[in-house]
Amino acid sequence: MTMRFPIVVLTGLLASLLTACGEPMKGVEIRDAEPAAPFVFTAHDGARIDIAAEKGKVVLVYFGYTHCPDVCPTTLSDWARAKRALGKDAAGVRWVFVSMDPDRDTPELTLRYARQFDSAFVGVTGTTEELEALKRAWGIAAYPEGDTRANDYTVAHPAHTFVVDRDGKLRYLYEPGVSGEDLAKDLRKLL
Amino acid sequence: MRIWRRIFASCCSVAVVACGSDVEQSPEIPDTSLSVRSAWARAADSGAMTALYFTLANDGTLADTLLEVRSDDAALSDMHVSTQRDGMMRMSPVTALPIPATDSVSFRPLGAHVMLTGLVRPLVPGDTVTATLRFVSGASVTVRAGVRAP
Repeated sequence: MTMRFPIVVLTGLLASLLTACGEPMKGVEIRDAEPAAPFVFTAHDGARIDIAAEKGKVVLVYFGYTHCPDVCPTTLSDWARAKRALGKDAAGVRWVFVSMDPDRDTPELTLRYARQFDSAFVGVTGTTEELEALKRAWGIAAYPEGDTRANDYTVAHPAHTFVVDRDGKLRYLYEPGVSGEDLAKDLRKLL
Repeated sequence: MRIWRRIFASCCSVAVVACGSDVEQSPEIPDTSLSVRSAWARAADSGAMTALYFTLANDGTLADTLLEVRSDDAALSDMHVSTQRDGMMRMSPVTALPIPATDSVSFRPLGAHVMLTGLVRPLVPGDTVTATLRFVSGASVTVRAGVRAP
């Protein structure tokens, strides 16, 4: 009995230390994070959506396209798993899929695509001019590869999920293939 | 016995060509050394596209090469591979995929996959997608993939 109390205390201290140190974040942290460039799209219903400006919420942004059969659905599926793992805390996260294929994707189609994975996901796209401005503002690239005139092309697009923190700063990049559970753990730390 | 069966089939094929016969070789040589497991596809709308994933095993002692995938569930079926380079994701077509002897090849998310374009019907969880794989040896293998939630 005399030894039990110190063991309990030591175990508690160790647990506290581990919690304090925590697991390292799975995402790549952007040093000297700067505010994410504001960018406003018109949604399918005419509402104006700034994809990254919702201070007080963590915002995930993925730049893809709806004719993407592999990487985009895999990423959105991982997001959906992360959202389920977050439970009620998911209310503090905004999930935004941006189509970089303005010739084939409309705001309506992009929204429908995103909502296949979770009804809370946002799907937006813009005109070619708007997307060019977005690329400059966010420092990203996206371009068609193949025969666009024959509608037989794919779109090269950024691989990572961009995460904007609650202060509106672009803080983390996540590799495609990060598990929903790992993403949820990290998001919980940012909430 | 499989290798002897293949050698016998090859000899017959050579003999047919040498004799200049009009008799055609059977276009499909059933080959039980090739098998598919863990096949699945992601749910998608009719007219949209999805990916087909599976593991293709070659338990035989001869290598083979996957040349073509066909599915009645889509207007087009193509092999692709997703690659990540310099922070960008892109897809490249695959025209032939070698399957080494006594080895397996996985079609999986973020890697090789079969792109089904122009789905002729909506794919909902619980459905089954069927495709036929054709190999350079003449063998063909049927894939039956369960549809999963997106």
